[in-house]
Amino acid sequence: MRAGAAAAVCRYLGIRLGQALIALFGVTTAVFFALRLSGDPAQLLAPQGASQADIAALRHQLGLDAPVWRQYLDYLGNLLHGDLGYSYVQHEPALTLITQRIPYTVNLALAALVLSAVLGVGAGMVMALNRGRWPERVLTPLVLVGQAMPAFWTGILLILVFSVTFNLLPSTGFNGFDSLILPAVTLASLSAATIARMTRGAVLEQLDRDYIRTARSKGAGTARLVTRHLARNISIPILTVLALEVANLLGGSVVTELIFAWPGIGQLTVQSVDGRDFPLIQAIVLLAAVVYIAVNFVTDIAYAVLDPRVTTTGKAAGP
Amino acid sequence: MRTSRNLRMAALIATAAAALAACSTPPSGGTAPKAGSAGTSLTADLASYPASLDPGLQYDTDSYSVYRNIFDQLLRRDPKTNKIVPGLATSWTQKDPKTWVFTLRSGVKFSDGTPLTAADAAFSIQRILDPKFASQQNANFSAVASATGSGNTLTITTKYPSPTLLSYLTTLSVVPKADVQKVGNAAFNLHPIGSGPYTFVSSIPGSQVVLKRNDSWWGPKPQIKQVTFRAVPSGASRVADLKSGKADIADSMTPDSATQLTGSSGLKVLSAPTERVSYLAFNTIKGGATNDPKVRQAISMAIDYKSLITNLEQGYAKPVNSVLTPLAEGYPTGLPGYTYDQAKAKSLIQQAGAKGKTIVMATSPTYDPQIVQAIQADIQDIGLKVSIQNTDQATYLKKVQSPTHDWGSIRFGQWSCSCLDADGVAYPLFHTGTIWSSYSNPQFDALVDKARQTIAPATRTQLYAQAYGILNKDLPGIGLFQIDAIYGASAKLEWTPDAQQSFFVADMKLAS
Repeated sequence: MRAGAAAAVCRYLGIRLGQALIALFGVTTAVFFALRLSGDPAQLLAPQGASQADIAALRHQLGLDAPVWRQYLDYLGNLLHGDLGYSYVQHEPALTLITQRIPYTVNLALAALVLSAVLGVGAGMVMALNRGRWPERVLTPLVLVGQAMPAFWTGILLILVFSVTFNLLPSTGFNGFDSLILPAVTLASLSAATIARMTRGAVLEQLDRDYIRTARSKGAGTARLVTRHLARNISIPILTVLALEVANLLGGSVVTELIFAWPGIGQLTVQSVDGRDFPLIQAIVLLAAVVYIAVNFVTDIAYAVLDPRVTTTGKAAGP
Repeated sequence: MRTSRNLRMAALIATAAAALAACSTPPSGGTAPKAGSAGTSLTADLASYPASLDPGLQYDTDSYSVYRNIFDQLLRRDPKTNKIVPGLATSWTQKDPKTWVFTLRSGVKFSDGTPLTAADAAFSIQRILDPKFASQQNANFSAVASATGSGNTLTITTKYPSPTLLSYLTTLSVVPKADVQKVGNAAFNLHPIGSGPYTFVSSIPGSQVVLKRNDSWWGPKPQIKQVTFRAVPSGASRVADLKSGKADIADSMTPDSATQLTGSSGLKVLSAPTERVSYLAFNTIKGGATNDPKVRQAISMAIDYKSLITNLEQGYAKPVNSVLTPLAEGYPTGLPGYTYDQAKAKSLIQQAGAKGKTIVMATSPTYDPQIVQAIQADIQDIGLKVSIQNTDQATYLKKVQSPTHDWGSIRFGQWSCSCLDADGVAYPLFHTGTIWSSYSNPQFDALVDKARQTIAPATRTQLYAQAYGILNKDLPGIGLFQIDAIYGASAKLEWTPDAQQSFFVADMKLAS
């Protein structure tokens, strides 16, 4: 029986890994060819007065004059050797440029994730448990505002209030914990709102269940009700939303990083797309795909750990 | 110098900030904790992180602003007159039309202690010309046949007589040959060593570069001891940094944010006319209606030049009489320039039989959409229809530079050759067969070809007067205005920006 379960888990992991590799291959191929339809980096790199010959020379140096299938095979070959290419604009290996920036983005995304999970789940619980009473009436519009405000607006608003007017926190840049607060709040506001709505819905759905009524009739207080009875049952839908939000946080960090001059992957992405820095864009997209796939993978496994009713054959009960 | 590209997002953010500025109160002068002005250290906000710190590679505005403080340039320009003056080279002579000899300042040392010689200067040019180095400045020095150095004497020969050589040598920063060869190009880019007034201290890639004063520099001792260049891509955030005292100076301000800053206590706006010119270029080959010179003339009379300068550029621009700025060598001072005459423009359109015809205007988000729309409205007022085709910069370049000339009828652009010379505009924009040109006139080509191999300034000026005379009659393009570089700064900063957008910290002073 146990050996059978282990084999099932192994088979499951094998299939998921295979799927992940196919997805990665698809992403790299699509990005590679889409980029080559999007304009010529040599034209962007050359000085304004450059001649046709200057641009052709630059194109040759960058290897962009070879047939596209040739470039593609070279790219795949290098990729298999762990070589992600060399940035056209910054004259450094793409991998070096990315690894320099990853810690900043991870810092920001983690801070925002924790913040949005705590605020979101907390607000959602309070709203559901106080249905129709004043806490819900106060929180609902706040959640709506959080949902409706785009990051570029929230960010500037926070800078104007906390940096320009009250001079409490640094406006931009990376300089210790102080400078993490505003960007993290900006990035978290949207996710927190989503999580709050989700949590409220999930809790309300559970509140009518028999086990809750039983617990209540046994005299369980709100605190015990939440920690001992509700928490496990609402964890699956919340986990699903959180996993999706990780992707959103990484995506949303582009705007937030630009406003707060945060030296993470988001800024690097914008710069590289702007300059048609092909090797760098390809490397960033590959990284994003790996993160996305990994998060999904970990979430699936977490389902099984949190809820034994979920089988490893992938029939997760998430909404 | 290439433009630092604006993102549409930045415009959006700026709008949001402008809307909010009304309800924010500026902090009073003394209360803000001045992170940047402790002692004599300066914090400067740039629009992006320098693409390279190696002066042989990139030369976009932000890279330029940082690395030119670390290195000495072979020649410099007088910030007031723009005349070429000694830098590392103290004197120079022309032996024959194709040979130049420079004498270098003696006793100059790199910050690692090695003496700077003519061999280093020659090496700095040679590496830019080396195809393997893939330098974006290669095209600027393509006239150079060879560069050799011995002792304090640098000899440069050109493939043909090149009147713009000295101009481009003002952009040449001299690197230490021995160190570059020892550590390699990649390592040098991360930790550059130069002979300039500042030395590299540290960097956080994508975020900031810190430089400190080089106390053994040969020039007058700069007042500012340490400078931190920060990359702050959002214009609104740069304004917030100035207002909260986090930055002492910020680059790449828009006219709108400048107007916003003028009202803040403790801050000021600094600006200087640059050699960047805003222009319209016509497709005279496959442009449809714009193939007809009458239509082009009508359009040149349809545009309200004054309104563009006062209303959209808020006065941070100057009128021009051709597709060139008065700063350039060879500017045709005698040309009458353009007139705004709607009635005459309408009748010209009638005469040309173009009334109601649609012309396509190509543009990209790099260029201010407000100006593009104002021009569209002006042209529609005289009876043409204008359809704007907005594509991203890479696609725009691909389209406009294609030899098939089917990019549309009219385009708005900004031009700067970073050479302050008439040739840098006339040749690449309008000479037959160049990538930007959708115009062909043998008479004009002959004049420009002759001028670009003539050294005597008086003869060149005469040739350009004729060439630009043709352009103003034939109108393959229209100069709209000369663009100002705008900086926001703390009121305590003493500095006068120049036409080259040089960001020489050695010239700056911070009052305590």
